[in-house]
Amino acid sequence: MKKPTDAAKPKLARPLTGKPAKVTIRKMPTGVRGLDEILGGGIPEFSFNVIAGMPGCGKTTLAHQIIFANATAKKPALYFTAVGEPAVKMLRYQQQYSFFDESKLGNAVRFIDLAELALEKDLSHVLDAIGKYVAESNPSVVVVDSFHTIVRNPTTQVGELDVPAFILRLAQLLTSWEATTFLIGSYLDDEIGDNSLFTLADGLIWLWQKTERNSVVRKMQIMKLRGQESVPGLHTIRISNQGVQTFSRTLGLIGNKTKPKLGRRLSTGIPELDAMLGGGIPEGDSLLVAGPSGTGKSALATQFIAEGLRNGEPGIMAIFEERPQAYTHRAGTFGLNLEAPQKKGQLETLYLRPLDLSVDETMQEILDAIQRVGAKRLVIDSLVGFEMALAPGFRADFRESLYRMIGALTGAGITILSTVEVEDTFTALPFSHYAISFLTDDILRMRYVEIDGQIRKVMVVIKMRGGNHSKDIREYVITDKGVTIIHPRQTDYALLSTGLPEPIGQPTEAAPEAKAAK
Amino acid sequence: MRNLAERLIAYERTQNKITKTKTPPEISVFDRLRPQLATLMGNAGFRAILTRALVLSHEEVPWLRAMHVIADGTLVHVDERQAHGNRRKIAAGNVVLLAQLLGLLAVFIGDDLTLHLVRETWPKLPLNTLYHGKGY
Repeated sequence: MKKPTDAAKPKLARPLTGKPAKVTIRKMPTGVRGLDEILGGGIPEFSFNVIAGMPGCGKTTLAHQIIFANATAKKPALYFTAVGEPAVKMLRYQQQYSFFDESKLGNAVRFIDLAELALEKDLSHVLDAIGKYVAESNPSVVVVDSFHTIVRNPTTQVGELDVPAFILRLAQLLTSWEATTFLIGSYLDDEIGDNSLFTLADGLIWLWQKTERNSVVRKMQIMKLRGQESVPGLHTIRISNQGVQTFSRTLGLIGNKTKPKLGRRLSTGIPELDAMLGGGIPEGDSLLVAGPSGTGKSALATQFIAEGLRNGEPGIMAIFEERPQAYTHRAGTFGLNLEAPQKKGQLETLYLRPLDLSVDETMQEILDAIQRVGAKRLVIDSLVGFEMALAPGFRADFRESLYRMIGALTGAGITILSTVEVEDTFTALPFSHYAISFLTDDILRMRYVEIDGQIRKVMVVIKMRGGNHSKDIREYVITDKGVTIIHPRQTDYALLSTGLPEPIGQPTEAAPEAKAAK
Repeated sequence: MRNLAERLIAYERTQNKITKTKTPPEISVFDRLRPQLATLMGNAGFRAILTRALVLSHEEVPWLRAMHVIADGTLVHVDERQAHGNRRKIAAGNVVLLAQLLGLLAVFIGDDLTLHLVRETWPKLPLNTLYHGKGY
């Protein structure tokens, strides 16, 4: 006799006792880069949300991205326009964005103008009209833009419904039709406390923009989101031809696993320097190379990347001062070929110099590149240039964001070499006026010294968090092989760190580079 | 654009014969477009764009000066007796008016979206472009 199949077995009703099963709230993707991560996975399905902010923040564009990402002919999106931007003008402007899909218009995305109704009739008529269209099309997403103009319009007659009742009935209507709703409105910050709309809403997305000096800074905050954990705080947003893009404060690095350090050392490509570092840079460390202009910081960074490529470790160079061609050319003069690895996708050079970047979006560019090439080594050349490339309003965030990124990347096992330009004072040895030394595990200081009628260069390892290191101050030159530490060490000096040393060893040492003829 | 207007009116004529509709095709073509566009831009928006198209047509079709757009977006003749004049003349005038209306739409929302709207209104009419043959 055949055994009954699972399908044939009588199904047991779930026992009434015990822990009840939780409802699963599906998260709807927004189609907005970075936003799903900020929201904690997406917009909760069937939620009633408000997108608020001053004009020009990107509220309408954000709503358009959401509808184009989700609407289908079977479960369309209804976009009600009221006393605000008419749909025909919206179409004129929104079609400029890359997410705009003309083939969805009419069937999957439907625009309905309610302006006359809102102007001439009372709120119950507006509610009835929305109800009629919703019943006809069974939408997945409903947008009312601009909602505040409907409820605040002095010519809209309140009639049978007052505003809170209208909002409540609208929420009930749309939720019962299983529609995820977005009400778009221009609201001021001080309205948050006493507006019943915000109390009723499941989600409240607030957009800001402010001008700082010559740059515009746009930010987003998820002020409220019922049922799931969103990333708190202000997140940078940018509006480009791709629509709104968001850059999470956490840079999408939440939950990234920390790779245990295995004690491996990475060569810098300069054997003598590796010896000074106690065998190389510990894998997953952040090394800061500090020194004045012309001391060879970029050359050293190039050698570090090239050595990684030789060992099969892909790399990223984020450069903010020199142009990529100059970088590649200089590497060539040291006998290092950076062109071939770039063509093979093992090396990417990011040249980031626009003057209104946000720190988070710059970091996102770097993170994207790291992911693309599977980078093990990262060069940031330089931190001063990086800060200069940011919009003035974002510079205050620089250290905090850098701290987050360096922490997350080194935690993932990526080894970072950052350069920073510092002045030689000839009386002191500052590591960096950025007070970013705390971000780094290791510090290498390069500087000029005056010896025997020449300006020469020396370097010293200041700090190695992972172990012991040489305490020697070593003289080096930049040759056709790049940064080269002079070996064997010839002379002993005192007061090298002041830049004006005094010989304490052989007084007649030979200069490492030829002196000018007398 | 005029060629497209002629095609739309010709198509309406065929459809009206099939459905035994008595409304002249040059009128029913606007009746069909009106709800489509009014949903998108509201009645007031539709009235505004049709009125503008009417004004733009005056130079070429002087008798259209006697037409005006009423509150619900329909076109009416000021003088009811003249409204039933020379059918050929009326049809030709409406081709110009429809072409101006579609031309204005194309200026606002672009050729692709205008074509999309026309296709949505006449889904069985094969159309690949707004521009066929001569004319604006």
